[in-house]
Amino acid sequence: MKTIKHISLWVVAAVFMVVVPTRGNAQNVSTSYFNVDWQFNAPIGNSFADKPSGWGMNFEGGYYVMPKMAIGAFISYHTNNKYIDRQTLTLSGSSALTTDQQHSLFQLPFGVLAKYRYTTGGIFEPYTTLKLGANYSRMSSYLQAWELYDDSWGFTISPEIGVSIFPSPNLRYGFHLAMYYNYTTNKSKVLTYDIDGRNNLGFRVGVSF
Amino acid sequence: MKKLIPILFVVAVLTACQKEPSLSKLDDDYVVFTDYDKSADFGEYITYYLPDSVLLITNEEKATYWTNDEADYILETFADNMADRGFVLVDTKEEADLGLQVSYIEDVRYFVDYPNSCWWWGYPGYWGPGYWGPYWSSWYYPYPVVYSYSVNSFLAELVDLTDKTGTNKRLNVLWDSYMAGLKSSSARMNRDLVIQAIDQSFVQSPYLTNQ
Repeated sequence: MKTIKHISLWVVAAVFMVVVPTRGNAQNVSTSYFNVDWQFNAPIGNSFADKPSGWGMNFEGGYYVMPKMAIGAFISYHTNNKYIDRQTLTLSGSSALTTDQQHSLFQLPFGVLAKYRYTTGGIFEPYTTLKLGANYSRMSSYLQAWELYDDSWGFTISPEIGVSIFPSPNLRYGFHLAMYYNYTTNKSKVLTYDIDGRNNLGFRVGVSF
Repeated sequence: MKKLIPILFVVAVLTACQKEPSLSKLDDDYVVFTDYDKSADFGEYITYYLPDSVLLITNEEKATYWTNDEADYILETFADNMADRGFVLVDTKEEADLGLQVSYIEDVRYFVDYPNSCWWWGYPGYWGPGYWGPYWSSWYYPYPVVYSYSVNSFLAELVDLTDKTGTNKRLNVLWDSYMAGLKSSSARMNRDLVIQAIDQSFVQSPYLTNQ
């Protein structure tokens, strides 16, 4: 946990160092934006690792090609885990395995986005975003000394609604709240568990600038 | 293409952010894996022979064995389960239809050195095919061996000794059980966990009977 927090803080710091010098205190409507978020994610539709968790972050940025319409890029990651009590699995016609397990599902979607904000220049800036791209995922089962895993790649699509909150609209440094749905086409198999596609629901809390 | 490099770099860095689950939630019981030859008819086998020791697979050149108190409770647990399934323990290998060999893996170095299906070749003192008689010159698993070895593991293999004719034949492994777990500081707990794992090997192998 400490390692992840440290990595995330470094990434946030790096983004600030790169971005802040390039942005002035826009009195006018901003032409670009960046969001850095902590996220809470709940996989739905599979029982492999469906325990909701807050082990993830989201990074995105975009350029307003029109006053209300931006295009940009995003990358996020998330891990969901679940303990499976001891049971006997029939692995093939002849082999059997008795163990308890810790299941883990890691997802890392990234790609491009299109964002539409409904207002500009105010304290509250509600918006809708559609994200498209690729998703790397690792499906793992931990049994004492082993990790059995299957890595996969898939296509991802994710609609998102949210609001950026700028307490002082002239400064354009504020907060960000969002809810999202995410679907990916990854297929993977570990032991007797199959996942064909991944569905996720979640929310994000972060900073926007 | 060059523009993709920083993107792939970021992806690779964030991949390291996976939060591994807490392994402390896992129980202390052994992982038990069993497999068998589906073409075998265990009803045709009556007798079996069980050596009086457990082979230690270590990083030493010289073969070592557990005997007496160290091995007795392990071998007795196997013998009790085999008796429950109708198999009769005999005093010599020559009388036996089956042979049951038990090994304890203390170090995986030799297994790492032999990643193919014949990893036991070259291991000094392993249950070589010749241990079971002059008829066999090589091992044979009729099914894929899929387990991964680790320290503090037990490996039990049931071999077919019925055809005691000729030489240079393959010695078929009809059933095997791989049991692995973390070693406790309590000898009593280790003993209980091993006994429980051996019993579980038979529970999940209902076909292993001549009754």
